[in-house]
Amino acid sequence: MRYYILFANYEQGLALRDILLQDNVPNRIAPAPRAIQGDLSCGMSLLIEPEHLDAAKRSIEAHHAAYHRIASLEGQIRPNRDQYC
Amino acid sequence: MIYLDNAATTLHKPQCVIDAVTKAMTSMGNASRGAHSGALTASRTVYETRCKAAKLFGCSRPDHVVFTCNSTEALNIAIQGAIPSGGHVVTTDLEHNSVLRPLYRMQDEKGIRLDFARADAQGALDYEDLERLVREETSAVVCTHMSNLTGEMVDLARIGRMAKEKGILLIVDASQSAGNTPIDMEQMGIDILCFTGHKGLMGPQGTGGLCIREGVEIRPLKEGGSGVQSYRTRQPEEYPTRLEAGTLNGHGLAGLSAALDYIEKTGVETIGKKERSLSRRFYEGVAGIEGVRVYGHFEHAERGPVVALNIRDYDSSEVSDVLSVDYDIATRPGAHCAPRMHRALGTMDQGAVRFSFSWFNTEEEVDLAVKAVREIAQG
Repeated sequence: MRYYILFANYEQGLALRDILLQDNVPNRIAPAPRAIQGDLSCGMSLLIEPEHLDAAKRSIEAHHAAYHRIASLEGQIRPNRDQYC
Repeated sequence: MIYLDNAATTLHKPQCVIDAVTKAMTSMGNASRGAHSGALTASRTVYETRCKAAKLFGCSRPDHVVFTCNSTEALNIAIQGAIPSGGHVVTTDLEHNSVLRPLYRMQDEKGIRLDFARADAQGALDYEDLERLVREETSAVVCTHMSNLTGEMVDLARIGRMAKEKGILLIVDASQSAGNTPIDMEQMGIDILCFTGHKGLMGPQGTGGLCIREGVEIRPLKEGGSGVQSYRTRQPEEYPTRLEAGTLNGHGLAGLSAALDYIEKTGVETIGKKERSLSRRFYEGVAGIEGVRVYGHFEHAERGPVVALNIRDYDSSEVSDVLSVDYDIATRPGAHCAPRMHRALGTMDQGAVRFSFSWFNTEEEVDLAVKAVREIAQG
């Protein structure tokens, strides 16, 4: 399972990206999957490994970071290819 | 990186564009503000850029070329400034949100009535539907020249003839076609042509504009400093000043000017031919791959250099992510600011992966992209 943090716009996403890097929470910028994007989130997401999800949530709370929602989705292509920064 | 997201912006620019921006940033004052050498350098650059744009687009009056930050701003000026409250407007399913959202707002706030000419399941405009929707009281037809999603072209001359016969304003979004497709406003019957500088024209971001046929009246979207007629309480009436409040992006326009020189020297037809050849090569490479679905009428000779596809039921964003991370190929997944076109294609849920080609792409890059698509499709 992959976890994606979704945002209303790229500014929110890039701000949280900086916060997570500062807090040493591994993540990677990825296109927001259409299947979970809905009408209110932008095309950018942050992809988080399951074992880092709680740390990401703690960072979001500590920094009052803005985001739209967190969603999970099974990868469809080469499930073992995940590359995290 | 193999950059195939040129419908969003061309990443590779001619060196002369880069040089022109650099030179402008060390020599340019503010256009229309004073008569010292810095101001005159800016005024001359902006003036010459108007003349070049007018020539490229067949606009009879260079002083009716108005510069904006992009085609979205140009379209907002045209739509909000030229369409009367309560007017009836016909547009199409092919449009980008830069057309749709200003129209929806006009619908909410100015009571305009909107009709949409259909696109078929491959994204081609139904001209008979468009002609059927036009009524005696129709104020304007607003349409794109080329779909940003599939590259489908619109026969502007056909629509222009009809608009002229019925006395209807024709506003055209040339965001995707300017620079790779010949455009002649007079021949095509276009009243207002909106363009951006940073896509096919290969200029800097933050440049664009609208070309206005003589006699077409557009109310200003914004008012402010113009450098002229300072004691008047209202925006000057003359074009282009009427629609250009505030300092222009002179540095960017210097780059656009150089880009227009580059395009004239190279030839729009030459550029378009190469881009379409690359696009066709890509299409022919991927069309037969099992599990790949390509959108668009590729039997039409007149197409833009864009190919949109999906692979099996894979989310288009995941395909684009794999292309980026595993192959270093830049594409654009998702909805492409073209909601009605995705609805027509039946791709609202999956989105699509868009490959778009530029003058600076090569056949080798195209072949690597085909190989990547094949490998992803084969699992």
